Amino acid sequence: MQTSPTCTVAAALLAALATPALAQDLLVKAGRVVVAPGTTLENSALLVRDGKIAYVGKDIPAEARARARTVDLGDHTVSAGFVLAATTLDADADLGEGALAFTPDLRVAEAFDAWGKRLEHLAPHGVTSFGLTPSPRNVAGGIGILAKPGKDRGRVAEADAFVGFSLVRAARSQERDPTSLMGARAMLREAFDAARTGAEVGPDLAVLRQVMSGARRAVVYADTFAELNAALALGAQFNFAPVIIGGSEASKVVDKLAERSAGVVLGTMSPTNRIADLELPGKLAAAGVPFCFAGQPAQMRVSAALAVRHGLPREAAHAALTRTPATMLGRQAEVGSLRQGCSADFVVFDGDLLDLSARHVATWVDGVHVHGQSHSHSSKHSKASR
Amino acid sequence: MIRTLLTCSLSLALAPIAAAQQDVTAFTNARVVAGGKPAMAAATLVIASGKIVALGASDKVTLPEGATVVDCEGKTITPGLIDASFMAGLNGEDANEQSDEVTPHLRILDSLDPADPMFRRARRDGVTTAHVMPGTMNVIGGLGCVIKTAGDDPDAMLVKQDASMRIVMGSEPSMRNRAPRGGRVESMYYRRPTSRMGVVWAVRRAFFDAQEAMQKTRGAPDQGRPSPGVEVLTQVLQGKLTAVTTARSEQDLRTALRLADEFGYRTVLDEAQDAYMLADEIAAQRATVMLGAPSATAVSGGGSRDGASPRSGTVRALANKGVTFVITTGTNSRRLPLIREAMFAARNGLGPQQALDAITIEPAKLLGVDDRIGSLAPGKDADLVIWSQDPLDPAAVAESVYIDGKSVSQIR
Repeated sequence: MQTSPTCTVAAALLAALATPALAQDLLVKAGRVVVAPGTTLENSALLVRDGKIAYVGKDIPAEARARARTVDLGDHTVSAGFVLAATTLDADADLGEGALAFTPDLRVAEAFDAWGKRLEHLAPHGVTSFGLTPSPRNVAGGIGILAKPGKDRGRVAEADAFVGFSLVRAARSQERDPTSLMGARAMLREAFDAARTGAEVGPDLAVLRQVMSGARRAVVYADTFAELNAALALGAQFNFAPVIIGGSEASKVVDKLAERSAGVVLGTMSPTNRIADLELPGKLAAAGVPFCFAGQPAQMRVSAALAVRHGLPREAAHAALTRTPATMLGRQAEVGSLRQGCSADFVVFDGDLLDLSARHVATWVDGVHVHGQSHSHSSKHSKASR
Repeated sequence: MIRTLLTCSLSLALAPIAAAQQDVTAFTNARVVAGGKPAMAAATLVIASGKIVALGASDKVTLPEGATVVDCEGKTITPGLIDASFMAGLNGEDANEQSDEVTPHLRILDSLDPADPMFRRARRDGVTTAHVMPGTMNVIGGLGCVIKTAGDDPDAMLVKQDASMRIVMGSEPSMRNRAPRGGRVESMYYRRPTSRMGVVWAVRRAFFDAQEAMQKTRGAPDQGRPSPGVEVLTQVLQGKLTAVTTARSEQDLRTALRLADEFGYRTVLDEAQDAYMLADEIAAQRATVMLGAPSATAVSGGGSRDGASPRSGTVRALANKGVTFVITTGTNSRRLPLIREAMFAARNGLGPQQALDAITIEPAKLLGVDDRIGSLAPGKDADLVIWSQDPLDPAAVAESVYIDGKSVSQIR
């Protein structure tokens, strides 16, 4: 197809006219910009356009730099915002269909409350996106989403992100099928088997087919040895690598996790945990098992720091807060790092974020300041945090 | 004599390979009760790479070069014991799928944790293999498995995945169920069966459905696969899978035999405390008995309401009638180690070899795993126990326990 020169000029003019109509570009300058775990730029900047990272550091065109509104963070450190891999935001009643344990085609997006009070507890702790899972009370709960907190309200970033399964005790109810772990395993085994061999399948089994073909990720709540063993065996039999949520006895199956390319979303940790628990992240990293922390948002950074204290390399700890959970949910192109094209989700610290004496200064989501000091030159004074 | 020569030549043939592997162990000068035959005095047992390679009189077996020699003077070696009714440390919820009374296809293997303290206890007591069945709260609970008691991966510990299907008679399966008597029905336990005859009805209906399904597929093989539960029941009807019926009182034992006769399958009678009352019938039907605890004076747990009255003379009564039986720990409130139950049986008139066979080779045969375990012979798994003295002596201790040639328990 040929384009006439006039058309091109008109298009360029339109584009030029359209740009000011959109939000002004934002130039975020900081002493240290951690683009991704292990990649830190000193005295650098990010150019944010339409809520996304348009350019990083030296790549920022001079012209765009001149036109942008500047936010100077001084010698602070900027990192990608934290990704909370799995949470139900305490909305289990809305995220778990009670009468049936097998509901893989239900959609979490339809129960997402953009104004929910629990969303307010995320940005103050650096969380800029999260996987909202179906309740662990259902053996096959439904399709989870990637969502974000915001200035006033949250939003769904990806409505069709992953399928949530559960083998934990909460999934075994004494009031409906199944009541036991062997019942839950048989339920999933038979369903996957039917999805694999059936000629025509309904919407529920179609979801399982997508898991087997690799088109959809599977997250599985599992804690005890028997539950973890069940999740890994199911993955081996039906050709998928599960992301385990919980994994309190994961230390017993580290080799199997590595062999099956499974990841683990561990609970957040505190200094009162047993030493063996605190050392687990280091062991998982050494075995090449991806892991991250989910649970209390306030404890995510503490968990990473504790893991470093007990043998985890710093880079892996930073990854566990950002890139690893994003990759586990299949969203590494959108969140979890500050590379070109990613969402402008970032957190600001007045030092190394794994050093607990460094203060969390601010959180930005989609290029919008949502928590802490804004530093914006346009404002006369700093806003206090909520 | 021929056998001795054979073992000698075997050990000679294997010697060079074994020496290279550096994991050859020879237990010398031991009294060996190999399982299924009389005890041998001053015998030597050689193991390598997890298998038994030679067994014979100490002056006949040539020790392989480089073998680690363990002098067992004064000790007795037996095969690792097999507990045919092992209670894993599962809570009741995970041992029973309560959403239905008939769940023939569910596998207790799916719930097992190798770190279960009951496995550790079993190893300490010389039990190297366990037959684990689903719990007793269902009419047809599901599939039992045969598993070694040491390891960190259930699949690797497995000897036989689907070894049995458990049927339960008596009051336990109907215990929680109730009838709606006015008011709201707000639990899945408002269901059949609520009575002893209801339990029988559930078994009969399950097998009737399986027979129907078999007939249908015979006429039209393209009818699609039957449900997994029906598939398992079909295997029982075809004699490909062992049915184990847990029945304690005389009436329940008779019902178990009657149902098996009616549908043409053979069943093992589990627990069977009242078996002495119908030893003739059991012998006539050639049913095997998994006797729950010779030492028991009462049944404990949920089965206590079934009205069985255990007698110490049951083992002798069964032996006299030629009934094949296995000794288990059963639902005995005393929770004695398996070896002590054999000791009780010996005290009550069973010959020492028969008492030991009832916890080694007999359960291996019953479970269809006697080609690998249950006796000490070249080619079999190196699962063995070194006892401080005759294991039927009340002071006997399982000093060393080996599974697949690896030491799993040491008591000094």
